[in-house]
Order: sequence, then C-alpha cells, then structure tokens
Amino acid sequence: MKRFTRLAAAAVIASLGAGTAIAEGLYTPNLSYRTGPFAATGIPLMNGQADYMAMLNARDGGIGGAMIDFEECETGYSTEKGVECYEKTKGKAIVTQPWSTGITLQVLPKTNVDEIPILAPGYGFSPMADGKVFQWAFNIPAGYWDAADMIVQYIEGQGSLDGKKIVFLHLDHPFGKEPLPLMESLAEQKGFELVPVPVGLKEMQNQSAQWLQIRRERPDYVVMWGWGAMNAGAITEAVKTKFPMENMLGVWWAGHDADLKIVGEDGKGYKSISWSFPNADAPVMADIKKHVVDAGNSQSNEEEMSGVFYSRGIIISAILGEGIATAQKHFDTAEIDPGQLRWGLENINMTEERISELGLDGMVPPFSTSCSNHTGHSGGWMLEWDGEKFVKVSDLLTANVDNYAELIASSASEYADANAPWPVNEDCEG
Amino acid sequence: MLNDIFVAPFVDMFAAPDFLMQVLWEGLVSGILYALIALGFVLIYRSSRIFNFAQGIMVVFAALTLVGLHAMGVPAWICILLTLGVMFVLAVVVERVVLRPLVGQPDIILFMATIGITLFLIGLGEIIFGGENKVMITAELGIPTGSVLLEPFGGLLILEQKDITAVIVAALLVVGLLIFLNKTRMGRAIRALGDDHQAALSVGISLQTIWVLVWFIAGIIALVTGIAWGARAGVSFALEVIAYKALPVLMLGGLESITGAIVGGLMIGMLEKLFEIYWGQPLLGGNTETWFAFVLALIVLLFRPQGLFGERIIERV
Repeated sequence: MKRFTRLAAAAVIASLGAGTAIAEGLYTPNLSYRTGPFAATGIPLMNGQADYMAMLNARDGGIGGAMIDFEECETGYSTEKGVECYEKTKGKAIVTQPWSTGITLQVLPKTNVDEIPILAPGYGFSPMADGKVFQWAFNIPAGYWDAADMIVQYIEGQGSLDGKKIVFLHLDHPFGKEPLPLMESLAEQKGFELVPVPVGLKEMQNQSAQWLQIRRERPDYVVMWGWGAMNAGAITEAVKTKFPMENMLGVWWAGHDADLKIVGEDGKGYKSISWSFPNADAPVMADIKKHVVDAGNSQSNEEEMSGVFYSRGIIISAILGEGIATAQKHFDTAEIDPGQLRWGLENINMTEERISELGLDGMVPPFSTSCSNHTGHSGGWMLEWDGEKFVKVSDLLTANVDNYAELIASSASEYADANAPWPVNEDCEG
Repeated sequence: MLNDIFVAPFVDMFAAPDFLMQVLWEGLVSGILYALIALGFVLIYRSSRIFNFAQGIMVVFAALTLVGLHAMGVPAWICILLTLGVMFVLAVVVERVVLRPLVGQPDIILFMATIGITLFLIGLGEIIFGGENKVMITAELGIPTGSVLLEPFGGLLILEQKDITAVIVAALLVVGLLIFLNKTRMGRAIRALGDDHQAALSVGISLQTIWVLVWFIAGIIALVTGIAWGARAGVSFALEVIAYKALPVLMLGGLESITGAIVGGLMIGMLEKLFEIYWGQPLLGGNTETWFAFVLALIVLLFRPQGLFGERIIERV
C-alpha cells in the first residue's frame, strides 16, 4: 500500500511537472489524421512536422528560447472531429493547423472571435490569400488557385490550349471543388474545354466509372485534385485504361510516393506540382537524423523520410517556426501570443539566404508574406514520377497571381458579405 | 429533356457497343465484389441475427495481415495460410469474448458490439501495421497483372487480368459456399440456425461452434475481397468504406438470402455503372454511384420490404 501511495504521489508530481513544462512552451496543436481513409497520406506529413519541431527542441531548445509544445489532436480527417479538436485546443494555442479544407472552412469564422491564426499550408480556402479580409487565416506558401494556374501554365508550355479538352478529376469534397472557379475562368480565357469529373468518398478506390467517362471524353489532359486513397485509385485506373501518364498532372497533395509505388514503372511520366521537394543532403535532414531519429524519437522510417510528403511536413513546421521567430524578434519576447504570431506570419521573408540558414536548401522556393498577402505565392516545381521516385522536371514556376487577383478579392468580399458582420483589417494597406 | 432521358442513352449504347460492353464488364467486376462483402454480412446475420458492422474492417484487417506478414519475409502462400489462421483466431475470440456473453441480448446490443469490434480492429490494425497505403502482393500470389485487349464490333474492350482472376475466384468461392451450405452437415446446421434458432438448438446444434464457423467463413470472404480490392488500388484503411456499398445490396437482396446477396450485388454493380455513364454523367454531373444503389434499394423496399429474395415478414398480433 505504501508503495502504491508513493507511486501515485510520484505520478501526480510528474504530471504536474509536465503540466508546468507545457505551460511554459509555445502550444502549437496540430489537428492531425493518422487514422481513417486518408491516413496513408497524413502519416508522412505529420511525421515530418513532428520531427522538425522535435529537432528544434532538441537542438536549439525550441525557438528563441521557448520550447515548442507540439501536440496532435486526431481528427481522422473528419470535419466534426476537427472542430472538436479546435475547441479543445484553442484555450492555450497560439495557432491552429486544421489540416483539411472542410475543417478550415468550419473554423474560419471562429478564429475571428477567438483571435487565433489558422495555418493551412497549401490547402484551405484560396481567397484566404486576401489578408485584409481573412486577417487570421494563412495558406502559406501557395494556395490551390496558384496550383491550378501553375498546372495550366505548364500544360500551355507544351502548346496552345485553344480547342483542347482538360478533364478535372476531383474529390467530391470542399478540397476537390476549391480550384473549380479558377479552372473555369482559365478555360474561358485560354479557350480549352473543362470537363469536371467528381469522385465520391466511397468511390475513391473504385473509379472505373470516372475513367470510363474519361475514355469516352478523350481528353488531352487530366488534372487531378486527389487526396488520400483517391490518388492511388485514379493512377491505377489511368494505367489500366492506357491513358498517357505524361498527360496526367496532379495538385501537390496528389504527389505521394507511396501512391505511385503501387503502379511503379507503369506510372512513369505522371506529374505533380509541388512547393516542396525532398533533399536528403540538406542540413536539416542531418539534424533531424542526429537529434530525433537516432534518439529514437521519430515515428518515421528511412523510406518515408526520402519522400515528398515527409519533406513537406518539415517545410510546414519550418514555416510556422519562421512565423514564431519573426514575431519573437519583433516583439522582443520568447513567449508570444496568437496576435503576435499573426504579425509574425504576416512578415515572413523566406529568401534563399534564410532558407539556407534554416538548412532547407532546395526544399522550398523563396517567398514572403504581408498583411494583405497571406499566401506568399511561392510558386512550385513540376515533379515527375520516374518509376521509383519524383524528380524535378521544371524550373521554378510562379503563378500569374495578377490574373486572378480580382477573383481573390471578389471571392473574399463575397465570403465576408455572406458571413456579415465580418471583421476586416482596415489598417492593412498591402 | 425527354430525348436525353429516353432516347440519347440508348442511341449511345448502340453507337458504341464495345464501350457498352466495357461498362457492363466494369459493373460485373464491381458487382461481384459487392456481392462478396454482402455475403459476409448475410452469413453472420442468418446464423445469429447480428448485423455485422465489422465486415468492412475485417476486409482491411485480413488484407493488412497478408501484406504485413509478407513484408516480414514470409512466402506469399504461407502468408495466406497464416492470415486464414489469424481470421480463425479472430472468429474464436469474437465468439468467446463478445458474442457468448451477449447471448439473449436484444439485437441492437449485438449490433453495437460489432461496432466495438470495428473500432478495436481499426486500432489494432493501425498499431501493428500502421496506416500507410501498402502494395498488394499480387505478383507473389501468382495473380496476372496484364490486360487482355479485345476488339468487339471493331472497338476496344480492356479486361484486366487481375479483374478476370477476381471474378473467377469470387465465383468459385460462391459456388463452394453454396455447396458447403447445402450439401454438408455443418452447412445445413448454419441454415437450420438461420431458419429457427430454438428448433436448431433443440436438436443439438452447437450455437458456439456455428458462430465461430460463420465468423471464420466471413473472414475467408474478407480475405478474398481484400486481395481483389487491394490489387486494384493498394491496401489501406480506405478499403473499409467499400463495405458501405454492400448495404444497398443487402436492402435489395434481403438480409437473409445468399442468392439475394449475389443477385443484388451483380444488379447494383451493373445498374449503377450503366446509370452513371449514360444518365448520371451527361444529365446530373456524375458521381451518382454514391446514391444510386440506395435509391434503387429504397424503391424495391417500397414494394418488397423484405428485399427481392428475403423471407416474407409475417407478424402475428
């Protein structure tokens, strides 16, 4: 009994100690999804994010002297669970990372009231680029409309799009529908026919109907807005129907090594736009290995760590880290609050030099943000599957943001009107 | 509009008969796989009146076990045997730990227990195998992976060899199952339990043995289904979602009918493809497969509440 009492007392003291440590850190919850139908794509991303933060804690003692309290709240990619996670973590969080366009759209109005920045790197609602209207939301370093524009630009580089037919194969989900307004606008401008083909969540692994339609339509290109099991389903059907893989291009979430490994050599030529790229020789990888992997604190493995999604997870945490560091420097305090982090995220200047200082050489293009530009519009590289891995097949592509700046502004304003009263950052001049 | 509904689709079918054949083939492949999942539900329901919510996750668990064992260096065919062993152990554990203590409880309690089994298997599967997408060991199992190109009516018909294999194996499994249920002592015992629980028990049929047996058969079906679906787009927890496609099959065919599961699966597989291609995509923007089967099943239920092949419900008041 005495022993039990001692153990119980030790447990209480330990938990209090842990609580104190957490209270002193910067709480950056991640609304992760390591389970459910999208887990296969979620796991490497979450591992990359977690390993980068663990590396900063181990190597530098956190950021600017403050430890990072990086905690995951499992959503299984369910919007309802995501909102629950947001509510559960918002009390002491300096940021929320919702990890799904559906969850982002749900928490978007809430963050105005709770005054917590949403960090949705490469996903979420494209008009979030308008920082004046979406003052608490960031989709750094590039949004879906940037992706759609860059993909269309790349295709146009192969020849005029006038009279061509492009199938837009997308998940029938807020994420999949997100680029449709821009794709429709581009179709009108460039004279190509756009054929949207939706894939239901229950049909992700059985897309024979969608690919029969593609066979019937005989498109010149297929642009895929896929996620999770949809990617592998689409790529295997494309191989099966003998669709030329070099004419199939996906968004950055449809460029996961594990999906392509299912078809291996048959997937050669498939492309995916990406604002991140793995670089095994980058100093950050050596530091993660030394401080996290070798210490037995990583959930990842060598194969996963060489993939596109793991390295993207690293970049996502690096963006958050840079926002934190920028805010700490400006406000001269290690323990920043959500409002200060917002300022930090609005003033990131990720130059080539800074990328190199962070040890991220070749892993992310340069970009900068401002109070009116919450995306950064970094641009990206076109990656191609060579049968074993993704390789870069283009120089840095940059989106013609000016071409759809008006669409961003009008969509943002439409959203604000539909959700009135919507607070706008009147101090933001651009 | 009337032309688009009643004339144009049929003109399209006649104009491109090779394409129509491709649509029917894809529907047949999907249908037979739906039928397999539905069979797992039916077998368990017939013998125990339990609607087994865990059938979908059993497909994932069986496929993950197979692939996971192979990743450990076990030869493919030994993996099959070991996976069958795992599914047998699972059947025994389910009967001992979950079903036996709940004998005599209302159906809803047993149904909830299968939801518990689902959650347990999801957690166990993720802990042991992880949530990453895995490649099915198609080649190692000797499943051919090329395609057969035919040119009916001067057109093109593509038949994937792994789909042909899936259809043949599924058909053999169904035939074997029907022979087992109709011609063997144990099979007849399962049917007897389905027909009249009390009468079956009174003649000495062991409830426990039959439950283990049907859960094991459902496990075998899950393994075959997992291999067939996994060969198409990898093995991941997303496969579980496919089990929901079996629900309209059950509504259509009847929860207790093996013939209903087979006919219902094939009907839904083919009709949903035909509807999607010739009506859904041109008129409704596509993705009708998510709801078509349910609407079809509901229409059938309006006229036959017990499903096409279910037993007529007679309530004495």
